[in-house]
Amino acid sequence: MFGINRRYLTDFDWPLLGMALLIAAFGVLEISSAQPQNPGIWRRQLIGLAIGLVVLFLVTMFDYRRIVNVAPYLYGVGVVLLGLVFTPLGKTVNGNRNWLDLGGVGFQPSELAKMFTILFLAYYLSGVKKRPLDLRTVITAGLIWVLPTGLVFAQNDTGSALSFVSFLAAMLFLAGARWTWMAAAGVAVVLVIALSVPYIKTCKSYKCERIKAVYWPELADKGKSYQNVQAEIAIGSGGIFGKGIGQSTQGALGFVPEVQNDFIFAVAGEETGFLGCLLVLTLYLLIIVRQTQIARVSRERVGLLLVGGLAALLLYHITVNVGMVVRVLPIMGIPLPLMSAGGTSVIATLFGLGLTIGVRLRRFVN
Amino acid sequence: MKSVKDTNFDSTEDLRQAGMRLEVIRYLAFAIFALIFVRLWYLQVMNSGVYAERAEQNRTRILPIPARRGTIFDRKGRILATSQPSYNIVLSRKDVKERDFPQIAELLIKNLQDVDRNWLSRRFEVAKYEAKYEYIVVKEGATAADVAWVRSHQFEYPMIRAEEAPQRLYPFGTLAAHALGYVGEVSPEELKRKDGQFNYEKGYELGDIIGKTGVERFYNEILMGKDGERRVLVDSRGRIQRNLETIPPVPGRDLYTTLDLDIQKIAEGQTDSMPSGRGAIVVADPNNGEILAMVSHPVFDPNLFSQRAKTPEGKDEIRDLQTDEDKPLFNRVTQGEFPPGSTWKLLTSVAALNEGVITPTNNRIQDGGIQIGNYFMKSISNYGAPDIVTAISKSADGYYYRLGLKMGVERFEKWVHLFKFGEQTGIDLPGERRGIAPTSATKRNSWSRAIKKAQQALDEAPQNEKAAKEFHLRQTQRQAEWTDYDMASSAFGQGQNASTPIQLLRYTGGLAVGGQMFTPHLLLKSVAGTDRFGNPQPEIFYEDKNKFSVPMSKEIHDIVLKGMWGAVEGGTAGAAKVEGFDVCAKTGTAQVASTDRVGSKNKDHAWLISFAPRDKPELAMVVLTENVGFGGTHSAPRAKPIYEDYYRRTRNLPMEPLAEASPDVAKAGAAKKERKTQ
Repeated sequence: MFGINRRYLTDFDWPLLGMALLIAAFGVLEISSAQPQNPGIWRRQLIGLAIGLVVLFLVTMFDYRRIVNVAPYLYGVGVVLLGLVFTPLGKTVNGNRNWLDLGGVGFQPSELAKMFTILFLAYYLSGVKKRPLDLRTVITAGLIWVLPTGLVFAQNDTGSALSFVSFLAAMLFLAGARWTWMAAAGVAVVLVIALSVPYIKTCKSYKCERIKAVYWPELADKGKSYQNVQAEIAIGSGGIFGKGIGQSTQGALGFVPEVQNDFIFAVAGEETGFLGCLLVLTLYLLIIVRQTQIARVSRERVGLLLVGGLAALLLYHITVNVGMVVRVLPIMGIPLPLMSAGGTSVIATLFGLGLTIGVRLRRFVN
Repeated sequence: MKSVKDTNFDSTEDLRQAGMRLEVIRYLAFAIFALIFVRLWYLQVMNSGVYAERAEQNRTRILPIPARRGTIFDRKGRILATSQPSYNIVLSRKDVKERDFPQIAELLIKNLQDVDRNWLSRRFEVAKYEAKYEYIVVKEGATAADVAWVRSHQFEYPMIRAEEAPQRLYPFGTLAAHALGYVGEVSPEELKRKDGQFNYEKGYELGDIIGKTGVERFYNEILMGKDGERRVLVDSRGRIQRNLETIPPVPGRDLYTTLDLDIQKIAEGQTDSMPSGRGAIVVADPNNGEILAMVSHPVFDPNLFSQRAKTPEGKDEIRDLQTDEDKPLFNRVTQGEFPPGSTWKLLTSVAALNEGVITPTNNRIQDGGIQIGNYFMKSISNYGAPDIVTAISKSADGYYYRLGLKMGVERFEKWVHLFKFGEQTGIDLPGERRGIAPTSATKRNSWSRAIKKAQQALDEAPQNEKAAKEFHLRQTQRQAEWTDYDMASSAFGQGQNASTPIQLLRYTGGLAVGGQMFTPHLLLKSVAGTDRFGNPQPEIFYEDKNKFSVPMSKEIHDIVLKGMWGAVEGGTAGAAKVEGFDVCAKTGTAQVASTDRVGSKNKDHAWLISFAPRDKPELAMVVLTENVGFGGTHSAPRAKPIYEDYYRRTRNLPMEPLAEASPDVAKAGAAKKERKTQ
């Protein structure tokens, strides 16, 4: 339902949008710093942002419940797009077959699939009244989840596949899964990780090397930890105040590969230092905190699950991306929301924020 | 499909529960962000210095700008040593990984000219352990084609660069090689030596090109500049982006030597024809000690060391030079120690006249052989009882045996020391030898070990052998005593007596000018400029701090002049005569004592010390021809063309084609008549 009226404008969560735009603007600045020879990249990022903003405003104009109502169809579209990646329309970028080229417009369907899966899970779980959740519900949710996740995993995109875990866990938890089940799942994850340590130490695949580069650098192939090392140097050399905008050498001179994409935080850290990092991470944290508040005030299940899932996904993206740049987590192909160059990610993130704002706008409807 | 309209919370309890769970997620976010902040604090606040330095090393490269080494001129400004532009092909150490070495080696061998595979792989092997080197030199003295290839492939292979590396060039090749010396890389041992000339404390570094011998070494401080450097920003592949900072090189200062290229060339020509291939000629101005020519033969080409030292062929050539038994790298002028022979008779004469052993008009000393104990010392000459002038010009051996004996060792020694034999002249060349002064102390020292041994044998001997050991000790001690035989032979330049040609040159100069002894030297002046550390330096002239004089009255000086002039005008040195130039000379034939050498090496060394013109000397000269025989026959005719050329050139007389100096020419000359004497 279109509803641009006074209430829409006064109730609109301008601070949330403001923080998001601040981060995005900073991102564009850092992309231009990282690729001074290549202004096309930050210009394309601006276009992505513009499209994302249009999407955001469109999404806020609809009642989010109507969107959730079509979630099964969107989910279907998402799965089909993921499947298309395996057809000749798919493209392999940086070792991951996770791109789709539709008539000259390239995008990563996994970013859309995440959103649509969150919507579908919100659709399904909000209808379940039983507390705590019974096993059947959990399994059904798992089945909804496993199809897109499996497809993403098959694309060799482990980082993205793991991001599906983040919102599934968060949404099951918020929908009322037993504490014991959650704890058991957590213990199981820890156990699996612990048991795989000896294997990872000896295995030579690039994924294992990426893990070793962070936790057992002495066992790692030196050539494969290059990106880690250079990103660490970039961040560290920034110091407290940074080298100044446009003064990046680690990033701008190409020492950190793919710096405008997944490693944009390294340039930000190099140029703006500890204070800059503190500022931008605080903005991210405030957005997540805001999302949890909005989830709380929505006062009904769909909104809570939807925004909770989006918050979990955002937290996951930030944690994994910044974690790998500061070398506490292995390298995974996860962009930093709103900052990394890449239209699909920006549009998807703004779509998610649009849903969040939409939920807040309609908190008094009930 | 069911609708989601009815999704309100069933109870407040349900809502409360969900709110609590949301809070769990919120606190999880806080915890994660706190951990990230801790990590950032560690990286950016606690350790930022380390990372800043690594980032700096990543992005900057230091490209050396070599400083030009000063040019060496002769006294008239003709170039003897200079630096020519040249390039090395180098590999930027930071921009290559060890595992890529074989691949790069193939690339270089394929595209550069004459790169030796073995040499290159050794070079890489060394580089693996020498991480501090910014560069690996993969080719020295690169050709224009090499440089062109490297430049045109800069984008593909940014780690391969052509770097300017000027090479020392000696345009006249072997000419004056021993005086000039050669250059080479400073050795690690030299850098570590505590009181060395080129150690770390003095600011020298590995890879510096220093003078290894000769003027290049002695005046390295003047000639050498300080390399500058260019700090450049590079990208991750090592491609240069832009200049950050340029420290300009400090060029070395130019230096004028006292050498006169014209005289040097003639002198070189004379040594070339020496029958044994070994010898020396050194010419100086007796009025100030400036060396005008210095030749030691056999010669070497200093260009070999500066330009081909690292090629396999060059290495072989250098090894040949080092192992050649004629020692071409050895500067005979300052490092060769030879018995001075009859050239010493002038010292004995000056001493005897000064001490009143003999007067100019006194004829009471006999020439001819002499019996000393069980020895009979033969004398080829016998001029009866000649006056001292005759004794000098005819080189009367027997006369000097008796003169020496009459004078006695104390007075003789006094004059050996007054002339400063057995001491370095202080010439501005490294590695000068002292020679051996024929004194009683020298003899005692040469026996001191034997005496010590005999003493030890006595101390350790059992009682019944004491007497025998004591007798042996006494005998050894007695052998160390100065005897009449020592006196007689020292008086004419034999015995335990050795001089370097440069010592004899200073002595000759002193005889020429009447006792004033100047320090022989090669530095005329260095031009004004800055030293290696950038401090301004004025023009520097040679300052003779060690000049001294030997007491020599006008009367005695006249006798010396007459005797030496007489040696040329009808005496032993007739082959040195130059019409109109009044050459004065004294021959010397140094007996080679050792009998264990075979062939030409046991022949005598031929000396000629000389100066000209007699009354106002302009040149003093020492000619030594090793192992050929008589001085008058072999060395005197080699002095003649040098004087002749100088005389004609300075008097603007027409130049005549010079007679080839050979023993045959000499034999045909005056020497033939005087063959029996020395």
